[in-house]
Amino acid sequence: MAISAPVGIKAAFIEAVRTKSGLVAVAMLVFLVLVAILVPLLAPYNVVQEWSDPTNWQNNPKYAAPEWSEVFVGKHLSKTILMPYNGEPGGFDKVRVPVQSGGQNYTFIVLKKSFDYEYDNFPSELKMWMNLTFGTTSPLIQVYWERPDNQSVFLFESAPTGAVNATLNTPTITYPISNPSQGALGGDPSKDVYWNVVDWMISQNVTNRSQIDSIYTNDGTIFAKPPRPQQLLLAKLDPSMLYASTAQVLKGTYTLRIVITGFSSIDDANARAVVYGTVYGLAGTDDQRHDLLIGLMWGAPVALAFGLAGGLASVLIQMVLGAVSGWYGGAIDEFIQRTADFYLIIPTLPILILIGLLYRPHIVTILAILIVLGLVGATTKVIRSIVLSVKEEQFIEAARSYGASRSRILFRYILPRVMPYTFALIALTVPAFIFLEASLSFLGLGDPILPTWGSTLGRAFDNGALFYGQWWWVVFPIAGIVFTAVAFALLGYAFDKVLNPRLREQ
Amino acid sequence: MGVAQHLAKRAIFLVITFIVAVYATVVIANGGGRIDQILKDQIRFDLLQQLNNNPAYRRLSPANQSLEFNRTYNATVEARGLNQPFLEKSVTYTLDALQFRLGRALQLKASDGSQAVGDIIFERLPRSLVLFTTANILAAVVGIWLGLWMARKALSPFDRGMTVLSVTTFIVPPWVYGILFILVFGYTLNLFPTQGFVSVPPPPPAPLYAAFPPLIAVGLILGGSMFNSMVRSKYRMVGYGLMAAGGITAVVWLLLPYDYFKDIELHMILPMIAVAFSVFGSWSYTTRNLVLEVMDADFVFAARAKGLKERDVLSKYVLRAASPPIVTSLALTLAAAWTGAIITETVFQYPGLGLLFFEAITVFDAPVVIGLTVMYALLLVITVFLLDLTYSMLDPRIRALRR
Repeated sequence: MAISAPVGIKAAFIEAVRTKSGLVAVAMLVFLVLVAILVPLLAPYNVVQEWSDPTNWQNNPKYAAPEWSEVFVGKHLSKTILMPYNGEPGGFDKVRVPVQSGGQNYTFIVLKKSFDYEYDNFPSELKMWMNLTFGTTSPLIQVYWERPDNQSVFLFESAPTGAVNATLNTPTITYPISNPSQGALGGDPSKDVYWNVVDWMISQNVTNRSQIDSIYTNDGTIFAKPPRPQQLLLAKLDPSMLYASTAQVLKGTYTLRIVITGFSSIDDANARAVVYGTVYGLAGTDDQRHDLLIGLMWGAPVALAFGLAGGLASVLIQMVLGAVSGWYGGAIDEFIQRTADFYLIIPTLPILILIGLLYRPHIVTILAILIVLGLVGATTKVIRSIVLSVKEEQFIEAARSYGASRSRILFRYILPRVMPYTFALIALTVPAFIFLEASLSFLGLGDPILPTWGSTLGRAFDNGALFYGQWWWVVFPIAGIVFTAVAFALLGYAFDKVLNPRLREQ
Repeated sequence: MGVAQHLAKRAIFLVITFIVAVYATVVIANGGGRIDQILKDQIRFDLLQQLNNNPAYRRLSPANQSLEFNRTYNATVEARGLNQPFLEKSVTYTLDALQFRLGRALQLKASDGSQAVGDIIFERLPRSLVLFTTANILAAVVGIWLGLWMARKALSPFDRGMTVLSVTTFIVPPWVYGILFILVFGYTLNLFPTQGFVSVPPPPPAPLYAAFPPLIAVGLILGGSMFNSMVRSKYRMVGYGLMAAGGITAVVWLLLPYDYFKDIELHMILPMIAVAFSVFGSWSYTTRNLVLEVMDADFVFAARAKGLKERDVLSKYVLRAASPPIVTSLALTLAAAWTGAIITETVFQYPGLGLLFFEAITVFDAPVVIGLTVMYALLLVITVFLLDLTYSMLDPRIRALRR
């Protein structure tokens, strides 16, 4: 009985969906909603906690392109090779031999793992982790790299310090092998690895010390890119290996061999290693090794929830105020209209950015502030003008004649009548909210924990992803935002077509 | 009530809005006193460092040290006016801001080293004005022209395609296009510079007239196409001539030596296209719909019945009647463009008002933030007033008040 109006929401909606753009919009929205529902099943992460914890991502390469991008390059790009702990499937082989000699106990341990490398480009990084058990003296660790051409390269040796007098398991020690320029720290052997690799090349008469010095010091700009250990270790052994642009991959079976000499009978060791690739998954990775696909999928529910909540709340409030303004008229009308004018003039975004910077608000707080900053506005004015024309229609007069109260007419007759228009406006307001959230996140002022599309984009921009050509890091979040926005825009357009029939028939 | 009275009423309302907006900014920009605390902490820290580096201070006894510290600290706080109660201070700030006594920046400087907020803002203002005005005019001309064309071919595949394009492009803000354009045209194709306002180091200076060829080129091309859409087909050669002249000017400009202005203009191309691309859709969609709506009106039917050319009907009757709503519905677009500049300019590192705002908030430079918001509010108020003025000239109902 309430919907005595000629055009109800349901009728308008059905007709909007029947148009081609409406159909496309609904299909896009259904897809988004499906993603939003399926994310917790496909990527069962408690994002809020797991996303910012680097240990969850340490097996992923940094800055890796999507795997399918090798189609464009025409090369077989390197994927990440995992070499798990001894005891896990496909893990390191271990030989442990305790020896007693001259009243002194020794333990010799050899950890060995082979892998095939058949890719056309070099890995991006090499890394090794070790767990050690030892007595009073720390063991000596020696690491070797065995190549398909029967060369064996000594990488580094190390004797972990720390707890010396107690029997204990050391925490996992990380040994980065590659990229010595990335700030070699105290326990970081990557500098040693680099000099050992250089010594090896010199001993094989591939180069000499002065040539190495000239390559690494004179051309040592970021653009010249002298080859890093992870490239030299997998390159064909000839002078071409000295330059990143000419080095060629030596394909075949490599072995990582770790020899541990312990000085008690209880010594034990376990190790794992990762040869990081240059491609990963469907959407690549970022600077913190996050699987971007998971972040992107989690962006969908966040954007949908934020956009819908903001769009619904602000448009519905504005609609009621606009209807009240148009229906009651007089002083109320004047007050609401002047407030709307005022709201149109205050600079919303600067104020929002200021608040974001000062208080680093939670995403829900941001939403609340946005709604407060948009209590009245353009929608109020549009709805008011519609109400002013509806007011003159006969069914209102009929309602008045049988004695309906003013508020009853407003809520039972006028609001249902303007509902379809409101839906069109909601569809157009949702993208605005999505983009506002993305803007704030892009500037680093959004929610500090959730992986939203905007924050992914902002981090990519801050890390120079555009400059380094890491397109996947930029294009996918943009695609997500634009896809969602376009879906709602098309829906709004479909409503618009239905509600302004003049635009249709000609 | 005459037009003058109507405008005066609007003006008074806008001035009041402006004052309230400025006061709100002053309160928020100081974080309800939060910024003051940050500043005080900063003074304390700087002072401690400064004094600890001073051998004379280190030789003092601890009691005398703290005495000396407190004396200097209080003097600095008083000199910066940080010890007044916030309410009082906010009123002072607002009155100062309204008289454009914007004070001194805490950290930011103009390129000549001046720390006066006014100097910093007015150094940046022309850059933003040039960029966003040009981009919006470009978008408006292209959009209206496209909208008229769409309306004329209503419901054809061209119209449908363009409508969907317009509807979907204007929903996306310029900074998103900016990022994509930087990726594609900047770093991948290496066609345009992507960051900043001028290259480092800047190319040799040039006389001012060197800045005009690209403007003339764009003007000729747009003018030619507009002309052609207004006149009968036998005069269209004139329009094509103008467009060709524009094209030749553009080519000549590209061949000219690489000077200061050319460098600046090349830097402006990507942000300008990004802004124009995200704005033209609302112009074309609004124009198309309003023109179609007016096209059905009786007076248009009458004009057609008089035997007027379709082109004349469109330009003299339809567009005339449709223009007031076009103008109003775009007030918001223009207003949004001003504040939206913050992220667009950050993306392009274009040193206009938007980037200044971002720089200022990241170092908590409250005077600059207040000065800028005052500037933004003023720009919005002026925009709205100009729109009121245009509206009152275009809308016959308001003009009729005069009689």
